[in-house]
Amino acid sequence: MTLPLGEKHFSSAQPESAARRIVTFRVGDRTFGIDVGMVREIKGWQATTPLPHAAPHVRGVLNLRGVILAVYDLRTSIGLGVTDATATHVIVVVDVEDKTAGLLVDSVSDIVDVPVSAVRPAPDLERDEHGLIEGLVLLDTEIVALLDLAAVIRDGGAEAPAARQTRAA
Amino acid sequence: MDPLAELKQTFFQECEELLGALEQKLQALDEGSVDPEDVNAAFRAIHSIKGGAGAFGCTELVSFAHVFEASLDHLRSGRVAIEDAPFSLFLRCSDAVADLVSAARNDEPARPRPDLLEALAEVGQAGGAAKAAPAPVAAAPAPTAPAKSAPAPAKAAAPAKSESAKADDAPLGIAALGNLLAMVEAKTGAASAAADTGWDDEPAAAAAPPTRPGREVRLHIHPDSDLFRRVIEPRVALAALPAEDVVSVTCDMSRVPSLETLDVSDCWMRFTVVLHTEMSVEEIHGKFDFTLAAEEFEIEIAAMPANDDVEPELAAPAVASEVPQNVAADLSAILAKLGPAPEPAEQPDIAPAPAVATQVVAAAQPAAAPRPAIRPPANDAAAARQRQAVSVRVDLDRIDKLMNLVGEIVITQSMLVECVRSLPYDVYAKTAEGILTLSRQTRELQDHVMAVRAQPVKAVFQRMPRLVRELAQTLGKEVRLVLEGENTEVDKTIIEELADPLTHMIRNSMDHGLETPDERIAAGKGPEGTIKLIAEHRAGRIVISVTDDGRGINRDKLLSKARSRGLVGADEKLAPEEVDQLIFAAGLSTAEAVSDISGRGVGMDVVRRNVESLGGRISVDSEPGRGCKFTLALPLTLAVLEGMVIRCGEDRYVIPIASVIETQHLSNTPIEHLTFGQEVLRWRGEVTPLYRLGAVMGSSGKPDENIIIIAETERGGNVGIAVDEIVGQQQVVVKSLEANYGTVNGASAATILGDGLVALILDVDSMLRLAASGGRQPVTELKMAG
Repeated sequence: MTLPLGEKHFSSAQPESAARRIVTFRVGDRTFGIDVGMVREIKGWQATTPLPHAAPHVRGVLNLRGVILAVYDLRTSIGLGVTDATATHVIVVVDVEDKTAGLLVDSVSDIVDVPVSAVRPAPDLERDEHGLIEGLVLLDTEIVALLDLAAVIRDGGAEAPAARQTRAA
Repeated sequence: MDPLAELKQTFFQECEELLGALEQKLQALDEGSVDPEDVNAAFRAIHSIKGGAGAFGCTELVSFAHVFEASLDHLRSGRVAIEDAPFSLFLRCSDAVADLVSAARNDEPARPRPDLLEALAEVGQAGGAAKAAPAPVAAAPAPTAPAKSAPAPAKAAAPAKSESAKADDAPLGIAALGNLLAMVEAKTGAASAAADTGWDDEPAAAAAPPTRPGREVRLHIHPDSDLFRRVIEPRVALAALPAEDVVSVTCDMSRVPSLETLDVSDCWMRFTVVLHTEMSVEEIHGKFDFTLAAEEFEIEIAAMPANDDVEPELAAPAVASEVPQNVAADLSAILAKLGPAPEPAEQPDIAPAPAVATQVVAAAQPAAAPRPAIRPPANDAAAARQRQAVSVRVDLDRIDKLMNLVGEIVITQSMLVECVRSLPYDVYAKTAEGILTLSRQTRELQDHVMAVRAQPVKAVFQRMPRLVRELAQTLGKEVRLVLEGENTEVDKTIIEELADPLTHMIRNSMDHGLETPDERIAAGKGPEGTIKLIAEHRAGRIVISVTDDGRGINRDKLLSKARSRGLVGADEKLAPEEVDQLIFAAGLSTAEAVSDISGRGVGMDVVRRNVESLGGRISVDSEPGRGCKFTLALPLTLAVLEGMVIRCGEDRYVIPIASVIETQHLSNTPIEHLTFGQEVLRWRGEVTPLYRLGAVMGSSGKPDENIIIIAETERGGNVGIAVDEIVGQQQVVVKSLEANYGTVNGASAATILGDGLVALILDVDSMLRLAASGGRQPVTELKMAG
């Protein structure tokens, strides 16, 4: 995929007309998005090997053509419990900083271009203590929450109370 | 990377090898060798460095190397006896050269070493004065000498050059290129910058005195183009002629092809030498016995008696005007190809090389000085050809790619094995046979690739003498370093990891182990301590030991310190050996004073951690008053390992075969329960702790844990690990978990099994730590690094 804004992230210096191309995907009834440039590929669910005593949102590791990468369950990260992964679930393989990681989501929905000006800063939500949301984009039908992938991978969900409850249930 | 930078890179690589050789030879000489061959080898090494440095315009390096070389030359020529030579000075100089090389490599300003230069110059002066011989090199100016721009052609004619000669080891490498560029420079007359380094400013006055008996003889020398490949340099051949007889030397380079088609290892130069000599034709023939074939030169005796009017300087300018334009054009054409912008500014880069080229016309040193016999050229040439045939320089990247690919093949192959199992029997039998062959071949391929990556530990060992020298000076101790087993080979992944632990261990021995000379004498030992660094292969591992004959570990002090830090309980009794192991505990150092060298207590525990993370182990044996021995055992490679695939619940793991002592069925083994759920089993009369893998690693599914694997820990103890099933044994390719995730407690890495799924490679010790912590990881380790 060669897309113009792939590597660019937030920059207030960008002209008004600049657009961000965003991949959106769904977890439950929520929609999330990341810059298309961070997405390396999208693949169907594949069994992972669990890691001992890893954080709850770490699903395990898998083999992507000889490279071992960890898969993170976005549902757990946002406090909605553990995904019961099936063949219809999707792993979005992303480049975060100098690492490659997999993000387990329900489905990938779209690629949209949004003007930079349409991205609003995330409201200072108490629940988002890990700062997973980088910003919000208002589309006609829905709100897309742009993810800060580094935060998701770092410690997203590890302490989310909702996640615990769901797991215990 | 542009080609010029690439060449430069190669030069620096060569430099490293040459520096190693230089240091090694000097070390041997310092330790009492009087073998002139060692002197020659050292000389050749520094000479080659100088040559290459010249080609790349590393002027500081060239200047220093030149003075150094000149001093060594006094040894070669016998002006300074080998026994009297200051090898410790030479060793310091070789360190300085190493510094200059790394400065040049990193484009940093070099630290001038006037002290060393001065000392070096004295070596020559003392020797030269004693012999009252005209040894102009002794007065070689310091590198800071102002530029003098004597015209290069005049210099080319200067025959009195003490740069005598033996074949260089590396005439075909960068040094040869240096020669070549220098030749071109000399011819194009653009060498003004070249002369600036100043050492060639010997008077051209050593030409033959006009009134001497003898007759004029002209030698026409037209060597075969393979001259360089025979490891002969023209100046070597010419140096065989007595200097006082040489009237002039003319080099005809008209046959040198254009640079684009020129192979630097071909010799196209022809020489005309005018001699004023009393030697007979046979005697002259004899001079070339070792260098040139009879058909490579002709002797023409002038009918007339000697003509005193022969002007030595006339010859060279004639040369300079023969083919300058086309060569210059070629040069700029080449430069245009090499670099993006062939500005004239690049000229100085290649300019300083004529140091070598001007020596093409060198004549011999005073005949009185005995010179080591030149070996018959046939041998040299054969050896050189052989060397060329057996070794190729390969970029490490390529080998890595090859290695990765082999790793993929191993995975694919084990995948095939699993696929085949589901085939109907008749098809299966045939296919299985093929797969069996394939797996044997894959294994062989892997072994060969591994062998390509194997390197002798010399690469690391040869850095140690310098370390010891410098430390000895700082600490005021006398130390002899003994290296053994430098040629022991080990995978390059391990080589890279060896330097730090070894450096630490040697520092530790130097600082804490060895006593000062006074203390040693008081203890009834010789003032000089010994550190032995020994490498060997043992049981599929490389074992490296550092042994000193110092004071040994001070157990009382170590123990009381450990008690004060709470590492050992106040009443806890430890066996002496156990006390020694405390040296690896974090934050312990028995040094009386914290020094720059070691003693901050970050030494040995860091070493231990690093070594363990490589799948190795380290141990210490100490005898108070007698010394201390650290032993380091590491796997031969980090790229593959022989593993046992085991299953526990729904998860599979790989345990390195190296850790497994034996396996047995649970029902044959009496298990007893201690407090807090700790189980132990009796094994070979020992009480051995038992861990259930499923519980420790949090495996999914319900494990039944019928099989017990007895494994060895790094501390030397044994543990039992209960698992469900042993799936098989196979070679697995080690894949990093850190690259895309982070450290995983209990596992050292991961691998990919035949079905494409990932399995963790267990690390027994890390697993035990995990078990001890009850599965809780420190929060910091939860986080993905970076």
